[in-house]
Amino acid sequence: MAETRTIVALPITPRLGAVMRLRLFLILGVLIMWEATAASGLLFRDVVPSSVTVVRALVRLLIDPDFWGNFGVTAGEVLAALAIGATAGLAAGLLLGASRFLGRAYEPYLNSLAPTPKIIFFPVMIMAFGVYAGSKVAMGALSAFFPVALSTAGGMREVDAALVKVGRSFRLSTWQMVTKIYLPAIRVPVLNGMRLGFGVAVIGVLLAETKLSNQGLGYLVMQAYARFDMPQMYAILLVVFAVAVALNAGLGRLTEPRHRRT
Amino acid sequence: MSDPTVVPWPRPVSAARPESVLTVDDILVRFQTRDASVTAVDRMTFDVRHGEFISVIGPSGCGKSTLFNVIGGLITPTSGLVTVAGEPIRGPHPAIGMVFQEESTFPWRTVLDNVAFPLEVRGVSRRVRLEKARDVVAMVGLTGFEGHYPSELSGGMRQRVSIARTLASEPKILLMDEPFAALDEQTRLLLGDKVLQIQQTLKQTTLLITHSITEAVQLSDRVVVMSYRPGRLKRIVDIDLPHPRTSEIMTSDAFGHYVAEIWGDLRDEASRGMAEAEASRGART
Repeated sequence: MAETRTIVALPITPRLGAVMRLRLFLILGVLIMWEATAASGLLFRDVVPSSVTVVRALVRLLIDPDFWGNFGVTAGEVLAALAIGATAGLAAGLLLGASRFLGRAYEPYLNSLAPTPKIIFFPVMIMAFGVYAGSKVAMGALSAFFPVALSTAGGMREVDAALVKVGRSFRLSTWQMVTKIYLPAIRVPVLNGMRLGFGVAVIGVLLAETKLSNQGLGYLVMQAYARFDMPQMYAILLVVFAVAVALNAGLGRLTEPRHRRT
Repeated sequence: MSDPTVVPWPRPVSAARPESVLTVDDILVRFQTRDASVTAVDRMTFDVRHGEFISVIGPSGCGKSTLFNVIGGLITPTSGLVTVAGEPIRGPHPAIGMVFQEESTFPWRTVLDNVAFPLEVRGVSRRVRLEKARDVVAMVGLTGFEGHYPSELSGGMRQRVSIARTLASEPKILLMDEPFAALDEQTRLLLGDKVLQIQQTLKQTTLLITHSITEAVQLSDRVVVMSYRPGRLKRIVDIDLPHPRTSEIMTSDAFGHYVAEIWGDLRDEASRGMAEAEASRGART
């Protein structure tokens, strides 16, 4: 008698569940260690406050209109910085990527300036753009410029030569070549550059705010620190972290490969 | 214009045969490398007649892709002329539609938007170009896939999108460079049938660059045989097989006879190419 065997496809969900469980374990572990440290009294008062205190501070923060004012200032500075830095970076990247000659001439500058901590230029920015938002935007823009320029230039060199030939064979104008072939072809590297650029623009703006300012989230953090209000400081950090993660995920979605509209 | 030795240079335009839509006239392409100049195409002359299917065949490295780029206007020849209806071309010509060997669909456009592309860049209104694109998509047998992205299609389907895109620009001459090279043999045969069927329906003048003898004989009215480097015109073979034709013609005696005849021409050239490639490989190591 032949043995009948049923082949059951292994469900995929339990494995995904395992990954999620592992992730949650880590968060739980950190929370437990956090609470244990807070309760132990080993560290100086409030360096590690109980998470309950932090949540309470977070709630207080979120209902404080003054906080939202400062949040708006920083958000505006970051957006302005990204707009300026990314536009300049895109233009520079397109030029350097389109011309092998220009790329060979100038890309070494970009490559060596990119990893330089931009904060060393902050005194110059203060003198050039003033102590207010101008210098913060300048810091963010300077930071965002490099990743966008480098990944755009790299993306341009990766554009499939066959697609360029198609464009030439259909006699596209230079403008059409840029808008119909190059820009769509480099969409993913440019967006990835913008993601990185966004990250460093936030760093640039916040860092500048902590150094010299009278408004913005960086300023609030330094104030909380000066008052030794650690719960409030952690609450601000949580907000910045949450916003950064959300925006990063949003930008990441744009880089996913295209599929059929259903 | 059949015998280039007797016609004085410059040849009068009126000397072109009335039915020829494209002439390749004494094309010479020489590339300058660091320490030598290489002749890729050496004084190629032939004409393409209205409505015919003509193939250019030659061994690997005979300069047939270079010739493709010259006719398409992407490479300027060292000397010689390509003329369309008597008018010498300078750069890509609107009467010539190119299909490339490589994968060349736009991955960010749907099938329909890919096919409508040449009309879009010419400023044809959205409604008209999509309608036209739908017709061409149907012609290459991709109805139902209009909304798909190339990544969702097979290689053979993507190459049909490329062909449809070029057909949508309504070229007088369809110029293809080994469009089936990356496909498996069975797909290649079926696609050949499809292309031939479209060519017959549209009376589309077609110039195919290929290295496949069977493909050339299956599809063509005439086959231009090129020699190994420098690529010279070796012979033009008339393929006198009845139309309508499908890949089934491959079983006929006449087909076998043509294949044997062209292989007879190509054999020496191909083995010369192979020997040279091996020698240069040996010299490098």
